[in-house]
Amino acid sequence: MLLLDYENILIRSLLTERFSGAPPASIDQIVSDFDGVTFHLSTPESKTKILISINVKCFRELVQYGAQQVLEREYGPYIVAPEPGYDFSVVIDLESLPDDQEAKDDLIMRLALMKRNAMAAPFEKAFDEFAQLAEEASRYTSESAPQGVEEGGEVMTIHYREEEAIYIKASHDRVTVIFSTVFREETDRIFGKVFLQEFVDARRRVLTLQNAPQVLFRNDAPLELAGVPGLQDAGDGKISYITFVLFPRHLTPQRRYETISHIQTFRDYFHYHIKASKAYIHTRMRKRTADFLQVLNRARPENEERERKTASGRTFRVQG
Amino acid sequence: MSQSLRPYLQCVRSSLTAALAISNFASQTSERHNVPEIEAASSPELLLNPLTVSRNENEKVLIEPSVNSVRVSIRIKQADEIEHILVHKFTRFLTMRAESFFILRRKPVKGYDISFLITNFHTEAMLKHKLVDFILQFMEEVDKEISEMKLFLNARARFVAESFLTPFD
Repeated sequence: MLLLDYENILIRSLLTERFSGAPPASIDQIVSDFDGVTFHLSTPESKTKILISINVKCFRELVQYGAQQVLEREYGPYIVAPEPGYDFSVVIDLESLPDDQEAKDDLIMRLALMKRNAMAAPFEKAFDEFAQLAEEASRYTSESAPQGVEEGGEVMTIHYREEEAIYIKASHDRVTVIFSTVFREETDRIFGKVFLQEFVDARRRVLTLQNAPQVLFRNDAPLELAGVPGLQDAGDGKISYITFVLFPRHLTPQRRYETISHIQTFRDYFHYHIKASKAYIHTRMRKRTADFLQVLNRARPENEERERKTASGRTFRVQG
Repeated sequence: MSQSLRPYLQCVRSSLTAALAISNFASQTSERHNVPEIEAASSPELLLNPLTVSRNENEKVLIEPSVNSVRVSIRIKQADEIEHILVHKFTRFLTMRAESFFILRRKPVKGYDISFLITNFHTEAMLKHKLVDFILQFMEEVDKEISEMKLFLNARARFVAESFLTPFD
């Protein structure tokens, strides 16, 4: 399992079980996801009505970029007023499920992707903006383009974690997605640097990745973010900015769904692999230490003479 | 083993074997005490001349002999910050287990990454040439281990980056 899944596995398995025609049971479960997102699955009224609520830290920002519309598009008929303490809720009635299995699976998948869908709004907005800007730009030559087209749209900021944010900016020929990430420890910072360098080089090195988005990283805020409020710049290298430049080929309507899902997992994927490498190196050091210990123990002389016995069981006694 | 490593290790081996001529020596300053003189440094006539064997400025060994103990400090090669952090982690890992390593010192001497303290009690209970073997093997393998870990990290990073970028294609 190298890449992370886009959906929440626990929700998917729970709903698959419920939808399979098992006898209704009451549920009350809090499910956590990445980036501090929590879900609450419960059956407050009757056992057949499952209420699914989601709490996202930056929901207000997401709504500003059109999350409500995206969620309405995905979950239209199921939406209910949000449960107190949560940002968005849907109710699924087990008695009025779609009949055929395919539609059921599709619904399960859509519900399990709730976090992805909520976070997708600003990306979709940026992609639409890109399409619009591209069309506008095609009417001008590069010299005569008016200011607005050349510079591109607003920078959208999503503070999806305490100290970390995603910035998205659309231009007429690309969409730039910038992740800011904080390393708590010196080791993480150095490991992160190794990993990021490989992300940057991968495109140049591997022929088949020529079409992948361009990746850049640096420790101070990139120029695209000039003037964005609330930008931290500690200057001690704890914060890294990772820029993904998505080209038009990633933004086509056929590709955008996949692109949005995939780029959202970047931060978790990246940090997961840093931690995994640390764990591996740790085990390796542990093993090596044990080996050294063995070598050192070789320096201890073998147990001196053991008591010697004759065949009949008599022992020798050293005469004092 | 590379060409320059062999004489370096050979030199450490013979210097260390020579330095390990130690014997029981009770403290001169307090009665019924018996402490490693190299640590106590209570009187200059009990200390011998320290000796540094260096392969280059980043890799050296300091041998400090005294009448009843020898302190050996090793500076491990650290070419970049990855190696630096790996060496730091590894030596910390070892020193935290100093108890079971008998001759390992909990804290390295300033300017070095790891130190061993061998007293006459160690040479009495253990075979002297095997102790020297241990230190030599340690020096040999620690470099290998560090560079292997670094290679692993780079390989993993490469693989991880490529697999993340592949779905975009």
